[in-house]
Amino acid sequence: MSELNLNEDQQDCLQEIINVAMGQASDQLARFLDTFVYLKVPSIEQVSTLSLIETLSSNENSAAVVSQGFFGYEGIRGEALLVYKPKDSDRLADLLGYEPDELSVEEQIIDLSSILTTTFLNVFAKQIDNQMSYSAPRLLAGSQSAVSDHLAQQSFNWDLALKVKITYQVTDYSFNCDMILFIPESAINNIKSVIDRILEEF
Amino acid sequence: MYSNDICIDITNKLNTGVLIIDNQYNIVFWNRYLEIHSNRKTDDVVGNNIFQVFPELPQKWLKRKVEGVFQLKSQSFCSWEQRHHLFELQHTRPISTNSHFMAQNCTFLPLERKDGSDNVCILIEDVTDVCHYQTMLNKTLEELAQSNRIDGLTQIFNRKHWEECLEKEFSRARRYQHGLALIMFDLDHFKLLNDTYGHLGGDLVLIETAKIISSLLRLGDLFGRYGGEEFAIILPNTDIVGALDVAERIRVAISKNVINFQKSEIKVTASVGVAVISEEDTRYEDLISNTDLALYDAKASGRNIVCVAKHLIEA
Repeated sequence: MSELNLNEDQQDCLQEIINVAMGQASDQLARFLDTFVYLKVPSIEQVSTLSLIETLSSNENSAAVVSQGFFGYEGIRGEALLVYKPKDSDRLADLLGYEPDELSVEEQIIDLSSILTTTFLNVFAKQIDNQMSYSAPRLLAGSQSAVSDHLAQQSFNWDLALKVKITYQVTDYSFNCDMILFIPESAINNIKSVIDRILEEF
Repeated sequence: MYSNDICIDITNKLNTGVLIIDNQYNIVFWNRYLEIHSNRKTDDVVGNNIFQVFPELPQKWLKRKVEGVFQLKSQSFCSWEQRHHLFELQHTRPISTNSHFMAQNCTFLPLERKDGSDNVCILIEDVTDVCHYQTMLNKTLEELAQSNRIDGLTQIFNRKHWEECLEKEFSRARRYQHGLALIMFDLDHFKLLNDTYGHLGGDLVLIETAKIISSLLRLGDLFGRYGGEEFAIILPNTDIVGALDVAERIRVAISKNVINFQKSEIKVTASVGVAVISEEDTRYEDLISNTDLALYDAKASGRNIVCVAKHLIEA
């Protein structure tokens, strides 16, 4: 397993970029969803592929997982997974501002995931003078086994993932979901050079 | 840098629909692909409201979607798996697929114009092929899963699937403190029957017996072929009185059933064992072995009879 091996400055810098991105993203989300969005400072941790598959497999309660690929300049790319708990998917249509009969629960989850992923990563990209493009979000079948199957069959080789755990607390619609960013090894090195450049500029 | 003309030329040669709207939902631009596949004239489209040009669009939903793109300035998507299509467009495989309209993957891109105004670009990809093959694949997988659950001869659950059902029902009954009953029955002197009428006759008896018993059961009951001429039924939410009633009806129905095979009339009887879940049962296999013992008692008591598991009588 390779390591991010960030020194203290690099670590602080990354955390700061992510914090600012979260702050701006939550502000945009609050406006769009027209409700107060509160989120805690996101926890960032580096996880190995193996431990992550184990975590996801042992977590029986996840109702849905949505995957969306992202790619930007300077070789920054990866795949975002949004993991939902069953009780959180009940009132999404309401939160998103759709009529419940206008769209299926699957579509609601996919729509929300796309909004959360792209909003966060767009602001993140802007912080590092980058610009992201995205593949269409896909709902990986709801059951756990399907998620681990998907991870096991990943086409690109990542052995390290950056797990950004975000807890969205929305007044009236309490729900939370985990956002996990998988970043392949090559992209990790690219992120490191971007961080170094930012640190130099200070 | 390529000139604007070349970009427009390429856009018009793309195999993807390109449609641009302003924040009033008026169409600013579309490419040749859309012109051809929607069979409309540019003069009737560009400058007009998207919902007037394409009345088939789900207006409220699309407005919310596009609002999000304007406001969050981020891409948004719509897949054929959730919505087969947004625009009613012709596609290139009208004969070899059964899609009436083109199946579409749509991407919504935020565009910032030089004059500061905001536009949204909708990219429309033809995925009729993908949709067609995926639907066929899903159907095949479903059939495969089905045939994996079904006994080929009798068309009821096979033993493997039946046991999986029992395992689930057992833990459900434990968790919610529900009743659960099991009936197992075995056709009497089946070997003799095979010897007399041949295996075709024996097979017909199995098929006809499965049919007649299926018609006696409730919707939630789970009926499977346990092996050879032995059948088993899971009765969720059922106590011993209810189970005995069903068991007796099964015994009578089998004994009254006359099966016509070639020029003979075959009559057959069954021995039936019944048990219900009890405190001592820790695994579903315990319930099976209690029922099996009751079935053995029925065989030993002269056949064509219903027997209850011993520990239930003693209790």
